[in-house]
Amino acid sequence: MSEQGKKMLELAGIVKSYARGGRPHPVLAGVSLEVGAGEFVTLIGPSGSGKSTLFRLIGGVERPDAGVIRIGGREATGRRGLISYMPQHASLFPWLSVEANISSALSAVGVGKKEAARQAAEWLRRIGLEGAAKEYPHALSGGMQQRVSFLRALLMPRDVMCLDEPFAALDALTRADMQAWLLGMWEAERRSVLLVTHSIEEAITLSDRIYVLSPAPARVLGELTVPFPRPRRADVWKEPEFVGLKERILSLLQKGAAERHAL
Amino acid sequence: MANKAPLRRAALSAGSLIAFVAVWQLVCALFRVDPWILPSPYRIARAIADDFPRLMNQLGFTLRLALEGVGLGVVFGVAAALLFHLIPGVRAALTPLIIVTQNVPLIALGPLLIVWFGFGLMPKLILLVLVCFFPVAWSMLAGLGQAESQLREYLAMIGASRREVLRRLELPASLPAFFTGLKLTAAYSVSAVIVAEWLGGSDGIGHYLVLKEKGFDTPGVFAAIVCIVALALAFYGAAAGLERLAIRWKPRRTEAKGGDGA
Repeated sequence: MSEQGKKMLELAGIVKSYARGGRPHPVLAGVSLEVGAGEFVTLIGPSGSGKSTLFRLIGGVERPDAGVIRIGGREATGRRGLISYMPQHASLFPWLSVEANISSALSAVGVGKKEAARQAAEWLRRIGLEGAAKEYPHALSGGMQQRVSFLRALLMPRDVMCLDEPFAALDALTRADMQAWLLGMWEAERRSVLLVTHSIEEAITLSDRIYVLSPAPARVLGELTVPFPRPRRADVWKEPEFVGLKERILSLLQKGAAERHAL
Repeated sequence: MANKAPLRRAALSAGSLIAFVAVWQLVCALFRVDPWILPSPYRIARAIADDFPRLMNQLGFTLRLALEGVGLGVVFGVAAALLFHLIPGVRAALTPLIIVTQNVPLIALGPLLIVWFGFGLMPKLILLVLVCFFPVAWSMLAGLGQAESQLREYLAMIGASRREVLRRLELPASLPAFFTGLKLTAAYSVSAVIVAEWLGGSDGIGHYLVLKEKGFDTPGVFAAIVCIVALALAFYGAAAGLERLAIRWKPRRTEAKGGDGA
């Protein structure tokens, strides 16, 4: 348990603005957060609060105007290739089979070809998708595609997994199903995860800690620790404390919205 | 159910073609048209049968030249598309020049090429490559740039290198566009070969066509035309077949196509 205290992802004072119509348009106004080793952390905020920008900065696709990003304890501002990523849309390659989608992504970032193929086949079997391994992605349902997309992120040999609203495009039933599935997968693997979501229930069900973001320009309005023990079941929403947590997050979000209107 | 629509389409195409030939035959017979003005389909078939070995021999020359032209054209086309795609300045610099080459009439360019390069294979190949490379290059260039932005973003987020993006995203994503270009090239290439053969040389179906024309052997001219059209169709069919072999991931869109007729 010596790893427990180690910070896998650290953002300190991240500032970013875009020029829009010739004027600077601030998106992130000093965001600081951290994800510990084997910790599941969620970012929740209204739409347009710069969460996607934050991910692009963590992924090194863009550089912040100010602030520092550390991944695995090392300075990583503007550096690519340190995280694994699960986007909102499954983003599977339509010309590759399910299995090849996983192994191709792994070899694109340097995993040996044979090893990548072996891992893809083995893990598809482990999650009960071996029957779909040779199918093209369009033959799969939305939920199935997201399972494959998650597996692709999980197998990537990186310190931090970034999940960008992975279930936003799914219907409510599939979504609940996928949350339970993800919870089970994560309990077994205990990777360091940063999840972005709009759904308060999703955040509480899955996370160890939750950061609540304000509307743009975003800053952290509050940080909550989710008290439910691990391993956790997907029906924690039945706990009385669940409602209390939900209310606290809601009031933080409302406070953020009110402050913005006051400006 | 799904198989009926394409079958019906095929029957319609074949039916209209047969009807066309039948009307042609009928017109020739009814009005007693002179064969040197418009030979009947039967006369043309006989002209083909009578001169079959020579026609096939000449067709073989044409086929070889067309294959060489298309092959070189595709190589140059793909190379140009990659060059233009990977090095941004090149596109802006060379686009006007390439448009110019595409607009010089073949019948003007051909004799010039012969003046410069003699009567050998060289001027014909240059002419063919000029015709064949353009559709491939332009379609593929568009395909390379149109790779889905979500997939591009995914590869950026996991830190894939430029080379990996080209190899795993842009090249496979450009395949459908490449084949669109290849089908165009396949269709154009045969008539370009005919022009090249018509310009000079002593072999090929284009040369045969010139001979028959000069001898007022109209059934012979039509026999050559039939061979040329058949060759062009075969080329197009081969390109379409290659496309179907290479692009198997696409969901079959029989319903969408079947909907055309409704």
